[in-house]
Amino acid sequence: MEIFTQLVLSGILLGGVYALAALGLNLIFGVAKVINFAHGEFLMLGMYAGFWLMTLTGVNPYFGAPLIAVGFFALGALFYAGIMRFTIYRPELTQVFVTLGLSIALQNLALMLWQADYRTIQTMPQGMSSLRLGAIHLPTDRVIAFGFAVVILTAVIVFLRRTFTGRAIEAISQDLMAARLMGIDPQKIFILTFGLGIAITGVAGGVLIPSFYAFPSVGSFFVLVAFVVVVLGGLGSVAGTIVGGVILGIIETIGGYFAPDLKEATHFVLLILLLAIRPHGLMGIRGAEKETLK
Amino acid sequence: MSRLPGYFEWKRSDAAWMLLLFACTLGLPLVVANDYYLNMLVLLFLYAGMASAWNIVGGMAGQFSLGHTAFFGVGAYTSTLLYNYAGVSPWLGMVAGGLLSMALAVVIAFPAFRMRGVFFAMATLAFGETVRILLMASRKYTDMPYGLSINYQPGLARMIFEERSSYALLAGLFLIAVTAVAFMISRSYMGAYLRAIRDSEEAAVASGIAMRRYKMIALLVSAFFTSAGGTLLAQYVLYIEPTSVFSMAFSVDLPLMALLGGIGSIAGPIIGAAIALPLRDVLLETFGQSAPGLHLVLYGVALIVIVILLPNGLIGGARAIRDRLGRRPRQGGVKAGEAR
Repeated sequence: MEIFTQLVLSGILLGGVYALAALGLNLIFGVAKVINFAHGEFLMLGMYAGFWLMTLTGVNPYFGAPLIAVGFFALGALFYAGIMRFTIYRPELTQVFVTLGLSIALQNLALMLWQADYRTIQTMPQGMSSLRLGAIHLPTDRVIAFGFAVVILTAVIVFLRRTFTGRAIEAISQDLMAARLMGIDPQKIFILTFGLGIAITGVAGGVLIPSFYAFPSVGSFFVLVAFVVVVLGGLGSVAGTIVGGVILGIIETIGGYFAPDLKEATHFVLLILLLAIRPHGLMGIRGAEKETLK
Repeated sequence: MSRLPGYFEWKRSDAAWMLLLFACTLGLPLVVANDYYLNMLVLLFLYAGMASAWNIVGGMAGQFSLGHTAFFGVGAYTSTLLYNYAGVSPWLGMVAGGLLSMALAVVIAFPAFRMRGVFFAMATLAFGETVRILLMASRKYTDMPYGLSINYQPGLARMIFEERSSYALLAGLFLIAVTAVAFMISRSYMGAYLRAIRDSEEAAVASGIAMRRYKMIALLVSAFFTSAGGTLLAQYVLYIEPTSVFSMAFSVDLPLMALLGGIGSIAGPIIGAAIALPLRDVLLETFGQSAPGLHLVLYGVALIVIVILLPNGLIGGARAIRDRLGRRPRQGGVKAGEAR
């Protein structure tokens, strides 16, 4: 029984981390209807940002998160203004290939700058690397990352529901034409959404680095995780991202306990089945999978 | 199939193109003597053939697969395992691999054909990764080594040759075969059906096209030839391992070449391969020494720029220029059902 509780709790923690890693992808998809195949690479850059922040200045990425957020917001805005702006009303194929091209470029840029070494940092002093609750051990890094996930996800939901700008983003996401008629400038909203999405992804990378290794191709693992989370929880649904992340985290932890080799395969089989059976996910809007900006 | 000759569109320029294809695939291997260029030729023909195979399902039918590495890897592994452990000739192994790939295609088609566009791409991507993970996990239960090498023992029956030019000729024949099939499909009623499905699934079904059936045919043909390409490449390199034949990069390469040349057209993937492969090689040679990875950074950037500037590939770009010069004014874009 204890082992079961341990597995479920670890799964929930991992799930929170996965949700955070996937949120940016879902936000951008929900608003601009773009599946960003370079999402994992932005996360990878976030991990390196956390790593270098700690290594060069000694600032813990947990405290440096606002800095990473600002930097990555600018990066995301640039990503939209410099590249995605030209593809936004084009066929999906164009977007897939532009983001795939960016993914190749960023992955190799990281390889060029920082070599293929596996890097990680230790953010916790000796003896504080895990929290004990009776017989249950939880890694502190994960608990903190989970805390970040909860705070950021809540903040995003509040922002989207309660603020004027957030509602404008929601409006664009629901009906582009109607939103334009209400005087919302989609270009501004797209810049803002890409900035926000990439900023969240960067922070996610920053708080992930203590518990995952950073290396140039780590993004291709996380992008598939993010796909699964988004499809599981629901396309375009922030709350769904949390549900999807937690479910995947639990499945992975329990599955990994019994069949460690097939841990990753469960992701993919889950993704294929979900896409076939319930493409809009558990909490997504029905038909969201067929939407494009037209 | 008996309907195939019923509606078949020939164009005036077809003969010239065919002659060019034959001259390149059968002539160049005999003329070129330099080892470097012969190697490039082998890879170019193989990739062009596989990109054409991808194009049948990805371009003509618009089912944007990112999981073709599964078929490629299955082709490479089936023939190699059969040859190494049972002594079966790779020629038969190639057919066996192709059939196995077709069986796999049926399995993935069940869920995947319910999806469209980018979701089909995601599902097939996951499929390709799954096959690799299953293969690597299966090593626990068999004594298969991580990498498989094929003993160098030249012989026609063993599909191993002393001369590089023989490989180039074989790869050239492969390219001709794929192109011939792509040509047959594209110009017959089937091509018209596939393009109708690509342009609008609803309209295609409403017009009485058995959509599932034709998507399936396109996928099966594509899977078979991609798998055969896997066998040929394995026989050329004589060494395979899970991460080299099952890689996302390969899955991305094929559509990339098709897109570069002109997606959905017959010549597009071939032109695309003829540009992408040498481009990558030149970049590697120029920048590979000074900074590892830089050549792929530039490659990625070039890709972004090309896709944004030339959404219909080089063929589309050339057509746009010709139209602007006003030699042959066309009304609107490509008409529905028209063979490109």
